[in-house]
Order: sequence, then structure tokens, then C-alpha cells
Amino acid sequence: MSVALALWRRSLNEVLRVRGALLPATIAPLIFMFGITGQFGRLTGLEGFPTDSYISWIVPLSCLQGAGFAGAAVGANLARDIELGWFDRLLVAPVPRPLLVVGPILGAVSRSMVPATVVLVAGLLIGADLTGGIYGLLCLYFAAAAFCATAALWGVFMAVTFRTQQAGPLMQQGVFLAVFLSTAYTPQVLLRGWLSHVAHLNPMTHVLELARQATVAGIEPSFAHTWPGVAALAGMATVLGALAVNGLHRMGR
Amino acid sequence: MREGRVVAALGRRALTVQFRRAQLLMPTFVLPLILLAVIASGTSAGQGLRGFPDVGSFLAFVVPGTVVQGTLLAGLTSGTALAGDIEFGFFDRLLTAPVHRTSLVLGRLFGTFVLALLQSTLFLLVALIFGAHYPGGPLAVVATIGLAGINAVGMGGITAAIALRTGSLSLLQSLFPFMFVMLFTAPAFFPQDLLSPVLHDISLYNPLTYVVEGVRALLNDDGSLGNPWEGLAAACGLAVATTAISTLALKERLRRL
Repeated sequence: MSVALALWRRSLNEVLRVRGALLPATIAPLIFMFGITGQFGRLTGLEGFPTDSYISWIVPLSCLQGAGFAGAAVGANLARDIELGWFDRLLVAPVPRPLLVVGPILGAVSRSMVPATVVLVAGLLIGADLTGGIYGLLCLYFAAAAFCATAALWGVFMAVTFRTQQAGPLMQQGVFLAVFLSTAYTPQVLLRGWLSHVAHLNPMTHVLELARQATVAGIEPSFAHTWPGVAALAGMATVLGALAVNGLHRMGR
Repeated sequence: MREGRVVAALGRRALTVQFRRAQLLMPTFVLPLILLAVIASGTSAGQGLRGFPDVGSFLAFVVPGTVVQGTLLAGLTSGTALAGDIEFGFFDRLLTAPVHRTSLVLGRLFGTFVLALLQSTLFLLVALIFGAHYPGGPLAVVATIGLAGINAVGMGGITAAIALRTGSLSLLQSLFPFMFVMLFTAPAFFPQDLLSPVLHDISLYNPLTYVVEGVRALLNDDGSLGNPWEGLAAACGLAVATTAISTLALKERLRRL
């Protein structure tokens, strides 16, 4: 466990040493939040929209997006460590291989709290409601942290599969796709065509519902809105974790 | 004539290098299509809002936003590649060639122009396959592609100026979210009158507003959606202004050498 903690510290050091390391993961979701709200804000006027505040609908999405990008960065950093040979040195250490990525994933989860909080505060300042109280807020932060870890596992899987930084866009776009092929812009009842079916099957729809308990008046904090999201996150983490660990075990053999 | 050949050769090289590095092209070609698919299905219910123009195809209404988004990304890709050339020393070797310095900038922007033509053709084709109708006909489609090319030169001029001024690859790579500010402050995917009041007021000063509305009017053959001539004027104005700025940035760079 001390190995994981040491690597966690190393991962956090990067934030302190590299100026502006957190900026892209924080600014991109902010821009999307302001932009999407400005473009599609009037959609709340449609029948079936559970809130009359579009910013309240979008804030949880942007928090998850920021956390997801912070998670995917674990894969990009791992790919860099593999290319530069640093990870080869870690592989010969007498520790279980999965522990080598636990530290960076914990680091990403810690870092992801920054964009999630900045986005939440910015959203509240421009009019989002905090309808879910403490329980809703806990759900939002849990969803952000767990989605960050899930995205990090996806990034690790990509990094150990392709072993090059050129796989970076795949890691980012995997997160992007997962988030947007869901009820990102509108609730399920207002989705049309193929996206309606995809969003219905996409586990991220449940994760968004979990997070939206914090700010969306029509999604009241309850166990019924919580457990599907928790189960979806557990399922995604299990599958991606198994793929990542399998990839780690295959390295150097 | 000789400078024309230099511009064409540099443009060809820019395209070849970009097509060899799929990781650079992936966001340029795939990301706008993904957003188009998601927005077309995710927000089409918005057609039911009061004030939404009566259009035959929602996909044809939002695809101009995708075309403009493509030009932003083509411009960004171009600036990123230029910053890479500067950082890895290739640009210094170009500077020793006996050619007009402006041709070095124009060559890069020519590559951006062609990239945008390819991109917008692909976007319009994919939208057509998925059910978009273009009442404006083939001429409107060709005009849209041309307008996209000119607009991409404008966007490429901005990023080329930043690349020449800073020479920083990492700075250009982190500009990605900022390019979206220009997109989101224009009525890219929703009518201008339905934007939030603040965004509506900002959009009046964004040249991309006139480009996207011009393309929308062209494709939908509906003058109430925009003015193609205003779109052309905005795109040309942007292209000329940013090319001039990037040329000045090159001169400034040479002065510092």
C-alpha cells in the first residue's frame, strides 16, 4: 500500500510542479457549460423537461466531464511513462502490478475535485439551484470521483494496449462519447431517434441521474435515483478494471 | 508564379504531414460529426419551441454549425502543426530558403483551406446520408464548401499568428477549449433569437454568426435564416485580417532572431 501512496504523492506533485496543469481540465467543462446553456437554455420550455433552469441541468454534466478528463489524463501520463521507459523500471519492482496504477488513479480522483468544484461554484453563481441539499451534493461528488476513476481505468487500458502517447485522443474521446451519448442535453423523453435508444442503454445516463439529484428540481434525492448510478459506475469500473489489469499483466511478457 | 508554386508546395506538405498523423486529424474530422449526431438527435425537440424557424430538416439547420466547427478545428490543427515545425526546427530551415517570407504563412494557410474543403464536403455528405435535405441544391453546397474554406483560412490565421508569436506547441494544444468560445458565442446550433439574452448580444459581434447564418440560408434556400453575402464578407474580412496579423507575427519573429 505504501507503493500506491508514494505514486499518489508523485502524481499530485505533478500538479504543483507543472504550472497550469489543471487549467485544461477545468476550463474546457466551464466553456462547454456556459456555451451549451446559452445555446440550448430555451429547451426547458418543452413539456417533459424536469426543471426550468437549464444551467441546473448542465452543471452535473460539466462536473462529470471535468472529472472524466482528469481521469483520462492518467492514461496519457502512463503512456508517456511507458514511452520514456520510466514504467519499465516500475514493472521490475517487487509489487503487484495493479498497485502501480492505483496511486495515479487516486491522484486523478483528488485532482478531479478541483474542476468539479470550480464548475459547481461557477454554475451556482450564475443561477443553478442546489435543490438536493447535502445528500444531493454527496451524490454529485461521489459520481464525479467514481467517474474519474472509471475514466482513468479506461485511460490505463488504452495506454497499456497501445503503449504510445498518440492514443491520447482516444482516451479523451472515449470520455466525451460516454458522456454525450446519454441524456446530456435533454431528458430521455425528449430524445429522438437513435440517440434515444443509445442513451437508454448507456450506463452514463444513470450516472448523470445520480449526479443531477444535486441540482435538478425534478430529480429528487432518493435511493431510487441513486442505486442505478452506483451500479452503473461499479459495472463500468469492474469491466474496465479487468481489462486494465489484464493489459498490465501482459506488459513485458 | 514562383511564389505560387512555393505556396502550393508548402500547402501540399502541410496536408501530407497532417494526414500522416492520424491523431491530429481524428478530432478535426470525427469530433464535429459526433457533436452533430448528438445535437441533431438530442435537441431536435427544440423545433417545437415558439420562435423556431420552420425548416424542413433539423439536420440541415444544425449542419452549418458543424461546418463552422470544422473550420475552427482545421485552423487549430494548422496552428498546432506550425508550432510543431517551429519547435522542432523545420521552420528555421524554411527561413533560409530564398522565397518571400509571406509565402511561408500563405502556404500553411493554403493547406488549411484545402483541409476545410475536404472536411466540409465530408460533413455535408454524412448529413445527407443521414437524412438532411439541402433545398438550396448543389450550387448552395458548393458555395458552402467554399465559404468554409475561406473561414478556415481566417481561423488558421489566428492560430498561425499565435504559433509564430510564441513558438509553443503546448500552448497551441491547450487552445482547443478556447476555440469553442467562438463557436458557442455564435448561433451555431440554435436560432439567434432563441439564444440566452447575453449570448444573443455577444453573437452580434462574432463574425462566425454571419458565416453560420449565411451557410444556413444557403443550404436551406431561405433568406430569413441569414444572408450569404454577409457571411462571405465576414469570412473574407476575417481571412484577410488574420493573414495580415500572422504575417506581422512572422516579421516580428524574424526581427527577434
